[in-house]
Amino acid sequence: MSTESTFRNEPALEFRRESVRAQALRALAELRTKLPLRIGPASGASASGELLSYNPANPAELIAVAPDGSAADARAALVRADAAFASWSALDAGTRAATLQRAAGLLRERRLELAALEVLEAGKPWPEADADVCEAIDFLEYYALGALALDQGRLLPQLPGERNTLRYYARGPHAVIAPWNFPMAIPAGMVSAALVTGNTVVFKPAEQTPACGHALVQALHSAGVPEDALVLLTGADEPARELVAHPLVHGIAFTGSCAAGQHIIHAAAQAQPGQRHVKRVIAEMGGKNCIIVDADADLDDAVPAIIKSAFGFAGQKCSAAARVLVCEQIADALNERLAGAIQALRVGPAEDFACDLATVIDAEALARINAFLDGAEHEPRVQAEVPVGTGGHYVPPTLFVDLPPSSRIVREEVFGPVLSSERVASVDEAVRIVQEGDFGLTGGLFSRSPQTIEHVSRLGIVGNLYVNREITGAMVGRHPFGGGRLSGTGPKAGGPDYLLTFVEARSVSENTVRHGLVI
Amino acid sequence: MDDAQLEERVHECGQRLAAGLAGADTGGLRHPLAAGERRMMRSLIGDPRLRAALFRFVDVRPACHSRTELVRHLSEFLEEAGAGSGNARRLARLTGRRELTLPTAGAAGLGVASMAHRFIAGEDAQAAAPELSSLWEQGRCVTLDLLGEATLTESEGERYAQRCTQTLRALAQMSAGWAPNQLLEHDGLGPLPRANLSVKVSALTPHLRANAPERALSAARDRLLELLRLARELDAHLHVDMESLDTRESITELFLELLALDEFADGPPAGIVLQGYLTDSEEQLERLLGWLEQHPRGAPFTIRLVKGAYWDHEVVLAAQHGWRAPVFTDRRSCDRHYEHLTRRLLDARAGGMALRPAIASHNLRSLAHAIAYSDALGLAPDALELQVLRGLGDDTAAAIATYGRRVRVYCPVGDLVAGMAYLVRRLLENTSNDSFLAAQTTGADINLLLERP
Ligand SMILES: Cc1cc2nc3c(=O)[nH]c(=O)nc-3n(C[C@H](O)[C@H](O)[C@H](O)COP(=O)(O)OP(=O)(O)OC[C@H]3O[C@@H](n4cnc5c(N)ncnc54)[C@H](O)[C@@H]3O)c2cc1C
Repeated sequence: MSTESTFRNEPALEFRRESVRAQALRALAELRTKLPLRIGPASGASASGELLSYNPANPAELIAVAPDGSAADARAALVRADAAFASWSALDAGTRAATLQRAAGLLRERRLELAALEVLEAGKPWPEADADVCEAIDFLEYYALGALALDQGRLLPQLPGERNTLRYYARGPHAVIAPWNFPMAIPAGMVSAALVTGNTVVFKPAEQTPACGHALVQALHSAGVPEDALVLLTGADEPARELVAHPLVHGIAFTGSCAAGQHIIHAAAQAQPGQRHVKRVIAEMGGKNCIIVDADADLDDAVPAIIKSAFGFAGQKCSAAARVLVCEQIADALNERLAGAIQALRVGPAEDFACDLATVIDAEALARINAFLDGAEHEPRVQAEVPVGTGGHYVPPTLFVDLPPSSRIVREEVFGPVLSSERVASVDEAVRIVQEGDFGLTGGLFSRSPQTIEHVSRLGIVGNLYVNREITGAMVGRHPFGGGRLSGTGPKAGGPDYLLTFVEARSVSENTVRHGLVI
Repeated sequence: MDDAQLEERVHECGQRLAAGLAGADTGGLRHPLAAGERRMMRSLIGDPRLRAALFRFVDVRPACHSRTELVRHLSEFLEEAGAGSGNARRLARLTGRRELTLPTAGAAGLGVASMAHRFIAGEDAQAAAPELSSLWEQGRCVTLDLLGEATLTESEGERYAQRCTQTLRALAQMSAGWAPNQLLEHDGLGPLPRANLSVKVSALTPHLRANAPERALSAARDRLLELLRLARELDAHLHVDMESLDTRESITELFLELLALDEFADGPPAGIVLQGYLTDSEEQLERLLGWLEQHPRGAPFTIRLVKGAYWDHEVVLAAQHGWRAPVFTDRRSCDRHYEHLTRRLLDARAGGMALRPAIASHNLRSLAHAIAYSDALGLAPDALELQVLRGLGDDTAAAIATYGRRVRVYCPVGDLVAGMAYLVRRLLENTSNDSFLAAQTTGADINLLLERP
């Protein structure tokens, strides 16, 4: 595919310029005048209740009101998507790709407004909110190019008297079940991959971020995706379960927790009466990511990168760093500097450019993470201060040093701003620890030895290994993203193989010999 | 004086400076480094892979806890470079031979350390004292810069502030005994302190944020305030360096805000840096000049004009984010703009502002242009200060002193760990294809080097 050569990532907003920050704050103020956003029920749906989203830094601020979809709504949505499949899949690839590119253009026009929406609805600090919008645009552009390439089929060996072709075909309605932590980018990737290859989609955004999901759908519809080819289904668990189990669904693209992912894989494997296909599942499910620090590492670089990896967006990324495995010789120096760097972090509302990290997503997350911290009650820790009395869902960024391996904080995914630092005798020991972990998503290595870097890279211990840099912030096209073991099923999002999961290959072999002549 | 006449004067000045470079008898220009290093630099300029290998070695050198570690790293770097570099292959074979291994490491380690000492005046001000006074005796004044690891924590910021305090005191004390020197100590605006410290605001606080410059204002305020008070008390000059663009707003805002306080109305003399390689540097200069006009102080304000030391960083950062590079990407435009800013600074001084222009460069053309233009304006010779880096600009400093102009040598002090990062940067600068010094090393004709950019 030539995708890589023509694709360019959408440039981030240059917030270091005062004028750009001022524009962003104006966009935020403007958005505030329109709150709460009202997301109407999809036509034909019979939503029973309402789904509300709030600003995590100020839960009194209502951001959006959306229908709380039911199982019946899910069924209705699937029926529409199924009906739309024939005509959408019949379009030529170029038309669908152009539609995605138009949608990318529409998102581009609303960059500031959409970033502001993420700031308010997901509590994403500005640079990360903007990066998420950029990534959404990137996915649309990248998969548009990828679909055009895929449409060429594959070249097969040809013998005299035989013409062989291979083409890719859409499969049917897909369910996209998306998380709140990358509320536009992740669904943009999953939805557009399914759509551009000719499938139709029922998309259920996370219950915490319906407005972000709606903004994406709006762009795709305005760009020309038929209303029934992409149906927005807001709601909580009930409609999601119905989508997964329903016989009309051909594929499920999911990003979220490991428990939910495994449940989906299990449920999707049970064929329903009348179902004449095997459902495919792409599940991207989390991690317990380690950064290995070799004895020759440059701590001036390692410390800020670890801080960013562990505490960016309050650690609520599946790629976030949870454990540091540091070689004994420099463990004390690293831990001391990490501790000091954490105390210098500023925690506050996402809309404040001066804050390094903001809230966690909601009260439930707050309680869950606090339970981890309370469970480690007797362990010494280093924390930064958090705002008090604001009602915001703040968790102090926390470092634990030398926890016993049995500790829950060392073993389980916390999905919050909590980091554990452990000593290892060597890089090899650290590698073993990574390999023995349940997850295999991202990982980091700080080393200045070319051989160590080469050695660890070749082992392929995680899906995305980052060397001498932070371990989050994968860029579409440049850093195809996704992991193995319990982290997910693959293939890598934003990589050359991703679209293949959404299609079926069919080949034709034609005999071109007539009366002994090749024609 | 018209353009052509000025050009002629620039060439004369340049020729005179070139003649003053020690040992300018080798046809081409003599490189400022010693003969062995000159040979090494020349081979590095022509061999980018070997260059990368050696720089990576210099970089990791202080993190190697044993000789075995040193050897391992050196061999690995050379081996990696070996694919495209015959020199590196030969060297790799040497380091790979077991019986040579430890001595090689020792030599390599020492080589790096001695190279570092060429650029770094000593562990601290005390250790550098003999060097500083000998520079003074040779007719060169100094400014000290404290090398250190990055400041990532409050205690690191506090430690750096303490080092600044100690250094200011040590400088004031040691320089009291230096012999008087009219050119180095006075200009038309008044006395010039002998004690001169260059401070990095990013080392004072872990709170510099590109997206929130106001954060540094509260975080670094107290420490910088104390340093300004001490400088005033000791009658020393306090300069703030400029770093990557991400920190410019914090540094400028903070420094100007403090200097505007009543308590600093009459001192200390202070200064800031203007990086000419930034495409918006003229706006920045106008902002500084505007501020000066609105805040007349008793003590003159120095603007040190440099090209800028973070060129690669700025270009890479911008490319990775998809931004337009904030720096000139064409060498000649960068130099042309530098000359434009030089003229703007000297014009402002000639217009009567309490401004001390300092032209910091190793480029004879840039220096000669400043001298010629300053003369053309009819400014007194002491109105213009020229500055160079220790190690890179030693011969240039000698030539400027011989010319009878004031030259200030920027002297970094610090330990080996901190020194390596600085050394790598200076070596890269010195061997980059785009550098004046590299051209000088490879023996380019002086007339070409003095050509108008
Ligand atoms: C006393 C002193 C103090 C200094 N303080 C500071 C400081 O506070 N902050 C700071 O940033 N630097 C500072 N510098 C460093 C200075 O920026 C570098 O030494 C300087 O850039 C080298 O310039 P030159 O005039 O000596 O050499 P030249 O060879 O004439 O110029 C080299 C410079 O040109 C620029 N350049 C390189 N390639 C290109 C290209 N392709 N297109 C356009 N421009 C290019 C780069 O800035 C490069 O460093 C200081 C230097 C001195 C002497």
